[in-house]
Amino acid sequence: MDSRLAAYATRRVIQAIPLMFVVLTINFALVHLAPGDPITFLAGDQGSQQYFAEQRAKYGLDLPIYEQYGRYLLHAARGDFGYSFSYGQGVFAVILERVSATLLLMITAQLFAVVLGVFGGVVAARHRGGWAGTAIRTGAALGYALPVFWVGQLFILFFAFRLDLFPTFGMESPKSDYSGLRRLADIGHHLFLPALAVSLAEIGLLIRITDASLRDLEGAEFVRTARAKGLGERAVTYRHMLRNALLPIVTVIGGRIGTLLTGAVLVEIVFAWPGLGRLLFQAAVTRDYPLLMAMVVISSASVVVANIVTDIAYALLDPRVTYG
Amino acid sequence: MVTLPQPRSASRLRWGVFALLPLLLVACGDDSATPPTATGRANTTGTTGTTEASPVASATAAPQKGGTLVVSTASDPGQLNPAITTAGGTHFAAGSIYNGLVDLDKDFKPAPDLAESWTVSADGKSYTFKLVKGVKWHDGVPFTSADVKFTFEEVLLKFHARTKAGVEPVLAGIDTPDDLTVVFRFKTPYAPLLQQLNVIEAPIVAKHIYEGTDIQTNPANLKPVGTGPFRFVEYKKGQQLTLERNPDYFKPGLPYLDKLVFTIIPQDATRVLAFENNEVDYVVLPGSEVARFEKLQSVVVGRSAAGSGGSFCVSTIIPNQDKAPLDRVDVRLALNLAVDRPRMVKQILFDEGEAARGPIASTLWAFDKSLPAFEYSAQKANDALDKAGLKRGSGGTRFKLTAVVPTTQSRLMEILKENFTAVGVDLDLKLLEVNEANATVFMKRDFDLGFASYCNGPDPEIGVRRVYDSANIKAVLFSNGAAYRNPKVDDLFNQGVAEVSREKRIPIYATLQKALIADMPYLWLLETRNAYAIRPNLRGLRPWTSNLAEYAWIAK
Repeated sequence: MDSRLAAYATRRVIQAIPLMFVVLTINFALVHLAPGDPITFLAGDQGSQQYFAEQRAKYGLDLPIYEQYGRYLLHAARGDFGYSFSYGQGVFAVILERVSATLLLMITAQLFAVVLGVFGGVVAARHRGGWAGTAIRTGAALGYALPVFWVGQLFILFFAFRLDLFPTFGMESPKSDYSGLRRLADIGHHLFLPALAVSLAEIGLLIRITDASLRDLEGAEFVRTARAKGLGERAVTYRHMLRNALLPIVTVIGGRIGTLLTGAVLVEIVFAWPGLGRLLFQAAVTRDYPLLMAMVVISSASVVVANIVTDIAYALLDPRVTYG
Repeated sequence: MVTLPQPRSASRLRWGVFALLPLLLVACGDDSATPPTATGRANTTGTTGTTEASPVASATAAPQKGGTLVVSTASDPGQLNPAITTAGGTHFAAGSIYNGLVDLDKDFKPAPDLAESWTVSADGKSYTFKLVKGVKWHDGVPFTSADVKFTFEEVLLKFHARTKAGVEPVLAGIDTPDDLTVVFRFKTPYAPLLQQLNVIEAPIVAKHIYEGTDIQTNPANLKPVGTGPFRFVEYKKGQQLTLERNPDYFKPGLPYLDKLVFTIIPQDATRVLAFENNEVDYVVLPGSEVARFEKLQSVVVGRSAAGSGGSFCVSTIIPNQDKAPLDRVDVRLALNLAVDRPRMVKQILFDEGEAARGPIASTLWAFDKSLPAFEYSAQKANDALDKAGLKRGSGGTRFKLTAVVPTTQSRLMEILKENFTAVGVDLDLKLLEVNEANATVFMKRDFDLGFASYCNGPDPEIGVRRVYDSANIKAVLFSNGAAYRNPKVDDLFNQGVAEVSREKRIPIYATLQKALIADMPYLWLLETRNAYAIRPNLRGLRPWTSNLAEYAWIAK
């Protein structure tokens, strides 16, 4: 780690500030341009005009749009996104409650993806031309192409319902009061299918990328040198080629880290997983502006941070990358 | 969105794309979840009767104590104070924690709840309620008439949109002569009050918890303290709400269950599979699943025209009478002749429901049972439109209408479009997200034909009058969207509300229904019904109210 790298990192962070400002502005504009009125949702079906007006005033929705925007930026800078309409609670408290479920799901899915994706890619590369390689590559293409809500539904139908191996929904069994290890096991049992569903596309993607990167390296001189030294194929692949093929893989994984906090909306809905993806969807459907805006800002910020981290990791992994 | 390794600067573009990703996901995540129905449907909620006697509502054997009931629901309840919202999701979950003054039995007749008895003055202007003695809030504080007065004055009449709209204009005052007596005084005789005091329309909340606080953000809204059969244990948002038996419940011996769990499963298909896999014990069935479930062994399918999400709901087309030619009675009657309701019942409701026969749902007590089914005849409709002077132009079209309808009704609207095309009326379907469709029709009033599921509620005064009253033509959701004006109709509603005896009200509403059908201010299409599935050993469930498990028990 040298001072140039530190300077590079600092500059990336400073560059991120105007970007976040743009994100905040687009966020505000999108939410306010989108059709629908949160007050009609709050007030219910027979609210009077006077009631609507009272509620608008209470939430500052009666102010001119530029004033609402100014207040919003000011509050956002202080990290204050207000009260969720539907929960009547500070948005961060609402969001915080859901973070662990989403992180659990996404990190597990990421682990599945990295392990199965890279391993699958290596196997596919080593069996190029053989039936195993073809099978893995076809499977990867399918995994990447199949819509996740459909696959999720099939998983439930087959693994949970027909084979009765897993629960059909949720994160914990509603009927039991497990604690300690039993509870962890119960959560793990619930976690497996949705995590697999989330990771399927990425497994496919990583298989293809690993395979392709390894293929690109096939003719490289260092590979030939390694073979000439008499190293076995396994050692050549894992010790020499894979390390060089890691860069694109890291890029893909880094790009996904940003979505860790948004969760996987569709999978969370299909499996009734109580994470942030569903919260985001629900906030949008119920016009819960404060909740919606805070979630979009947080997920955008996490994408920005993840990209900075990826770029720095990239620079560390590949000495050829200069901190321009 | 794959970015293969490229020299370092490629990352900038990626940022922007990823930042937009969550928004794109929101934009395309459409039909995979049911929106929590605050105003998703025109829900005039009420605890009202099942249409066909629920197979389990009346138990014959002696109830057994104990057990856990897991109820699945599509939408996260959100905050849990039912007195400040009409959202069906909140009421469905929180109804078991609270009580109203008056319960409604399965024939929606008033029954004692927090009030053990009541008297109505001869002029219908004063109601006196005697409260049950010894009722305690879940935190041990005694319940008194002050709680009732506070709940109405400071909570319901401020934040419960329906009770505010219904009761506030006519209420003169609430008196509490002693701890166990509450008197409601009205400016004019007011018939429907007893129908508006159940746990959905008027749940009673604790004065000592809410007094002097911001009621909408009081932390107790997420940790509720009620008087109801079940006490709050834990709410994991988006996952489940856990309630336990209230051992000090004021109704002796009740409730029977130890635990009541609401588990949130947004996707229809997952919810149904979870039920079939024995993970949940109660599920509301999508229409397409009912026939299959009825063939299943060891499942009981029940039906209810009411629930916490709305009762006696009628899918209705709203013709904008501020626009020609919909302002003409003969045109509206002709359009009504063109509607093929039996096909809609079959293809849209999967036979779970009925063709509407008029402005009041056929299962509500005020319905005039002598009304025939609407006739369907494209031939007669064509003749009537010819006679009305609206001849077919080139291409066979008489006139064009723009229908602003929620995307959720697209299949129903396709049938209507076919029906109208057959009589030379070109229907331009503008499908919008449900909240936007409602706002466009009721607030912006930019439409020829609109759609609403108007729920009647347990009394015509609650959910029927608002649709036809000329005083209710205003920018309010589920109001008189057609802008229909008929002084005779207004007058009949006034007669109905002022008459306290139901026997005397019925003929008034019969006259009213005939008058409305003659004018055809709306096209009433379908009466919808909720079908649900439970296990055969579950008894005493009351799906028509939001306090659904008060009498429920599990046979071992």
